[in-house]
Amino acid sequence: MAALLRSARVLRFSPSPLLYVPGAAKYGPPRSGLAWPCASLRQYGVAPQQQGVSKDEASIGLRTKQAQQFDWALAKLDSSVRRTGRVTKTLLLRIFHDICRTGYPSGNQALLLLRSCGSLLPEMPLAERTELAHRIWDKLQELGASYDASHYNALLKVYLQNEHKFSPTDFLAKMEEASVPANRVTYQRLIAAYCQEGDIEGASKILGFMKSKDLPITEAVFNSLVSGHAHAGDMGSAEGILSVMKGAGIEPGPDTYLALLSAYAEKGDIAKIKLTLETVDNTDTSLMDRDLMQVVFSLAKAGYEQHVPEVVERMRHERGYVPDAMNLCLSLITQGREDTALTVLKTFPSLQVESENGEVPDLGNFFLRHCVNMEKPAEKLIKYSRELKDAKLHSGPLQFTLYCAVEANKTRLAMELMTDMKAEGLPIRPHFFWPLLTHHQRDKNIPGILEVLRGMQQLEVMPDVETYSNYVVPAFPNMDAARAALQVKRGHTDIAIRLIVAALIYINMSFCSLTVSSPTFPATDLSVFRGSLISGFKRLSVWSFSLFPAENVAYFLYNLIDSMTEGEVQAKEEKLRQYFAQLKSLNVFIPVTIYRGIRNILDAYHVPELIKGPEGRFVVLETRLAELRAEGKPVSAVLKQLIQALCAEEKLERALEIKAQFEQDMVVGAYAVLINLCSRHDNADEAMNLKREARKDSHVALDATKYLALVRVLSKHGRLEEAIDMLKEMKEKDVVLNDSVVTQLFHVLNAAAMKGDVATVQRLQDTTFALGLVKPTANLCSPLISAHLESGNYSGALEAAMECHQQYNQLPRIHDIICGLVEKGEMETLQKAMDFISQERGEMTMLYDLFFAFMQTRRYKEARKIIETPGLRARPGRLQWFAEKCIANNQMEALENMVDVTEKLFECDRDEMYHYLLRLCQESNDWRKAEAVWTKMQEENVIPREKTLRLLANILKSSGQVVPFDVPEVRLIHTRLSVVTVPSLAFNLLKDADKKGVVLGPAPYDGVIRSLLAAGSLEDAMAVREIAISHIPGFKLSDMASSLLIITQVKRNEVKDAMAHLKTMLQLDQVPSQLAITRLVQGLGSHGDVHGIEEVEGLVKALGTSLNLSRMVFLNNTVLAHIKNGDVDRAVESLETLYTQGGDTAHTSSVAFVFRKVIEENNDAALDKLSAMAERLANHFALYRPATDLFMQYLEAGRVEEAKFMLQRCAAIAEQREILLSYMTKAAQEPGQVNKIKTMKELVPDFVDKETLYSYLMKCYGLDKDLASAKALHDQVQQEGMQPDELFLKRLAVLYRDAGEAAPFQEPPESFKFYAEKLREKTKAQTASADD
Amino acid sequence: MAASSKKVFEVFVSKIPWTVASKEMKEYFGQFGQIKKCLLPFDKETGFHRGFCWIGYSTDEGLQNALQKDPHIIEGSRIQVQRNRKAFLGRKATKEEDDS
Repeated sequence: MAALLRSARVLRFSPSPLLYVPGAAKYGPPRSGLAWPCASLRQYGVAPQQQGVSKDEASIGLRTKQAQQFDWALAKLDSSVRRTGRVTKTLLLRIFHDICRTGYPSGNQALLLLRSCGSLLPEMPLAERTELAHRIWDKLQELGASYDASHYNALLKVYLQNEHKFSPTDFLAKMEEASVPANRVTYQRLIAAYCQEGDIEGASKILGFMKSKDLPITEAVFNSLVSGHAHAGDMGSAEGILSVMKGAGIEPGPDTYLALLSAYAEKGDIAKIKLTLETVDNTDTSLMDRDLMQVVFSLAKAGYEQHVPEVVERMRHERGYVPDAMNLCLSLITQGREDTALTVLKTFPSLQVESENGEVPDLGNFFLRHCVNMEKPAEKLIKYSRELKDAKLHSGPLQFTLYCAVEANKTRLAMELMTDMKAEGLPIRPHFFWPLLTHHQRDKNIPGILEVLRGMQQLEVMPDVETYSNYVVPAFPNMDAARAALQVKRGHTDIAIRLIVAALIYINMSFCSLTVSSPTFPATDLSVFRGSLISGFKRLSVWSFSLFPAENVAYFLYNLIDSMTEGEVQAKEEKLRQYFAQLKSLNVFIPVTIYRGIRNILDAYHVPELIKGPEGRFVVLETRLAELRAEGKPVSAVLKQLIQALCAEEKLERALEIKAQFEQDMVVGAYAVLINLCSRHDNADEAMNLKREARKDSHVALDATKYLALVRVLSKHGRLEEAIDMLKEMKEKDVVLNDSVVTQLFHVLNAAAMKGDVATVQRLQDTTFALGLVKPTANLCSPLISAHLESGNYSGALEAAMECHQQYNQLPRIHDIICGLVEKGEMETLQKAMDFISQERGEMTMLYDLFFAFMQTRRYKEARKIIETPGLRARPGRLQWFAEKCIANNQMEALENMVDVTEKLFECDRDEMYHYLLRLCQESNDWRKAEAVWTKMQEENVIPREKTLRLLANILKSSGQVVPFDVPEVRLIHTRLSVVTVPSLAFNLLKDADKKGVVLGPAPYDGVIRSLLAAGSLEDAMAVREIAISHIPGFKLSDMASSLLIITQVKRNEVKDAMAHLKTMLQLDQVPSQLAITRLVQGLGSHGDVHGIEEVEGLVKALGTSLNLSRMVFLNNTVLAHIKNGDVDRAVESLETLYTQGGDTAHTSSVAFVFRKVIEENNDAALDKLSAMAERLANHFALYRPATDLFMQYLEAGRVEEAKFMLQRCAAIAEQREILLSYMTKAAQEPGQVNKIKTMKELVPDFVDKETLYSYLMKCYGLDKDLASAKALHDQVQQEGMQPDELFLKRLAVLYRDAGEAAPFQEPPESFKFYAEKLREKTKAQTASADD
Repeated sequence: MAASSKKVFEVFVSKIPWTVASKEMKEYFGQFGQIKKCLLPFDKETGFHRGFCWIGYSTDEGLQNALQKDPHIIEGSRIQVQRNRKAFLGRKATKEEDDS
């Protein structure tokens, strides 16, 4: 055994590529030490992206955007901890605010936030961290989060990490007040808190508590006591604790030594530190770099920086050194030890890029940045920069420091840095100041701007036009203010000119940014949607197919059943039966193909009865058969049915009697069922007889199941050769083996194996594989091994397994083989097995195999050694495999041990591990164990996922225990809401939930409101809002819901209400959607409410330009409002003003909307005047846009005569080719528009070249499915001697195909998109070459 | 309906240090040929440029000269220069206002 353990240790040094997976073992396992960051990886169990696999997460289809952003943030937090072992303050705050905004923080969200307020924030001063923790604690409590022991314990941990001074007794009192019972972890941490202060007496008091409550005293307590005595100044007692521990049967672990080392460090006793490190080297434990970093930190903090190098040089630069060391540096800087941080920084392993091209890598950016953020003095930063530059660690440290300074708006520091740079002869440029200016510009901070400008002057940098236009002028309310503030006097002409240019640029800019972009909706991925629907459906207790349109039910049903496992189907058999009945009563028709699919699945799951009708049919059939025979009619079909029915009822004898009676009418199908039944009844002789009889129809084959039944019965009776013949016959007749048959084959082999009949199994297995009947799988190979194991021949089993691996690349039952070898102590064979696996499957696999074998055989100590092999990382699949095995076999001890020893395993999903444990607790109904698991999770700082909490709550509840924490019950409603796609059903669900007193967060209410509004159910939506307000005092509609509400109100002509709601929205700082504003303005326009439009325009302007609304929305609708009020002259006047005075943008402004409305309303009086205006603008001002718009609106409305007339009076319309072209392209996007294009062509014959026109016409025909016209067009093209392009032909070919005709030419093989791209490329190339 | 654009000889430059602005870019890339265009977009929200730039030469020769040199070092930093694959299209001015 020892030899094996040694082979595991080798891994540390072996350069096996497997272990050098990038990012592997980047972080050492977390240590539950006192202060050093335990940035564990999977401790952030809530990150939802990781939960993609877990079914309850996948089904949330109706998520709000807010929730998505929140999930994104959580995932980001998780990845931040994963990559760097730290979290930034900004990220944490952002998530905190998001949680506050969504309302109703869940218990584990709170836990997540609290836990992040300790050493995960190395960039924040300790006091600030605690302050933040308290802020989060209070705020979330206010929002309704309820705290349990896990939260109090997390807060304690944060206190310890932040060295926060507090009174442990007060803390306990507070917990008592909140009636949260303290647990083991609470006491442990309180002891640690006393010890941090050196208060041994206090610690002893708590220790007494623990003893009286019979709580175990763990290593963590002793470790605290080491620090406690040291802090009390009693090093002797501190050292003495180690022997006390040994006396109590607890071996001092790495954390114990770390506590001791830190104590020496605080005293600056480097001699003792060295001595202790040597002692550790001689024990079984080993300290990691991370531990040494803790010692460095303690040394620096206590002011013994001179000893730091001696500890630093002992670091081994393990993988993961850099991020850990970065965190150390950050902490040192935060706590004012930046000089030590620089010492550590210089020990960073240099990056390899350096040597390659002689470039200097930029090391220490993080260091400089954090120094800037912590407001270290400029002289220090300049000094550090020089050192880094001289040491060739950084190419431009000063420039980078400056970058950080301007980015963080540190004007003074930036100025000092630039002064130094200037003295060094480095260039100072205007854009260096821009980031500083942006900060002031945002705050409209004029003095700030002036200060920066003065700084520029001091450094003799002249602000250029860009500086003024982009960063200075926009901060001022107007030009005059700018000029006054900048004191532009006569004589300063260059500044004045720059300012003016700047102003011009600025004003123009604001016009340019008024572009309208249409919102795009993400395409819904149907398959994903269906997936989530199904997983939601599976868990619903009430199913109702009425949710779906009938034609989809069948396919949905198929998918549903397909997605269920065999176990699930069997478990829910009764339920499924009900649904089939329900479907039948609903007259839902299931197409034959889908029926077959469902039947196949059910067959494979061994529940074919589900689709069978009522039994006992054979009585009827027998009568029927007799009748038919009496009438002399053919009986084969009924005979077969009868035999099948009898066989289904296992009535073999009767079936054989019938067979004997009707021998000559037997068909193969009837024989087949009989053969099957005989085989099942172990009647090999009869089965073979029947088989021979059936052979009269020799060309027909039996199906695979029947063959295998024969093989089974034959091999069972030792008729191996005949069995082999059957297999050969299967091959000859090309019998197909599907998955369920393969399972059957396994059972055939296994049956033989259970008798220990190695020869038979070997023969059958070899034959099947040799014949190529099935592909060799691990499962199919395993019976052979089983046969060996069954006879206790482990080395034989290993040989067989190795043989399998050689031949079929399968390693069946290797776990059982290794377990057997370990158990039996067959060391030599075991070594052989390990060598083999290691060579064939890699060391990692070998180690896991060995690990599981030790676990299985209860050799936990050995197992722990294996799992602690450096470089080993979690393999979730394999851990799950073992856990499931333990759960299935009720092996609590093994599972507990596995969870225990994997604590420090790299990348081990701790929540998942505890979830396994809880599942077993549930199976075994052990609530006490479950509660202990929960405490253990707190000790380990694991944040449980919701599913884990729910499971724990269920266990406690079902044993009649009080659940000591908040269970997220609303989840179920969420899930249901997410599957319901019909708004009214969602509404009913919510009403039900309301009646039951279930309160949801704001998000689901908002979601339902939105879907109701989208369906136009204003009243229902308002009812939901009432429900929400009654539960959530501050409930308000989200931006999106509010916008929808406005749109709905406008649609219902309730423009006043809509207007009022817009104002409320803006007061709440919400941003309405572009569409909502547009609709509202249109509504106001059609009511003739000019003032209303003005008011909205004002409100929107105050919002800033972010809405991307075109000014024309307001203008056009104002015009329409005037017309509505009968004041056409005002309308004309305002349009004319726009066109004649609007400057550059005038000729592109479209008034088509106005014309369209007027034409739609048949307001000829207004139309006349507008038409006159359009002509006037065209003829007098050469502004053709309005005339062209009108022309096209006539076309659009089918008023061709008027269009023609318009064209005659204003010939220049024909010149507006771009507009006309875009009209055509737009028309060709929808079916039924071809005539518009044709009319256009008639009126303006040369608005487009023929080629383009034809291709658009073909597009239209394609949309209209008008093959006849398309054919005619094709003929015309050919007559005109033109070569149609591939896109044209592709469209035509599809038309032919859809009509079921063969195209007279070859259909272009590629996709539409391909040819469209090709054409685009071609056009581009032509244009380009035309330009040359 | 490709927008009519004169054929340009453009390179796309990335990894530009923050201390460099258009003027320095023009100076540096001017050594390879006459520059017709230099576009180094700045983010007006932050005041920093985005780290990439388009340089347009008036002749193919300039373009080839620029592409031949490797590495390109500007103020001690190595920048990446490649032929511009995608034409830089200005924001389209045409817009749908039918629905206004």
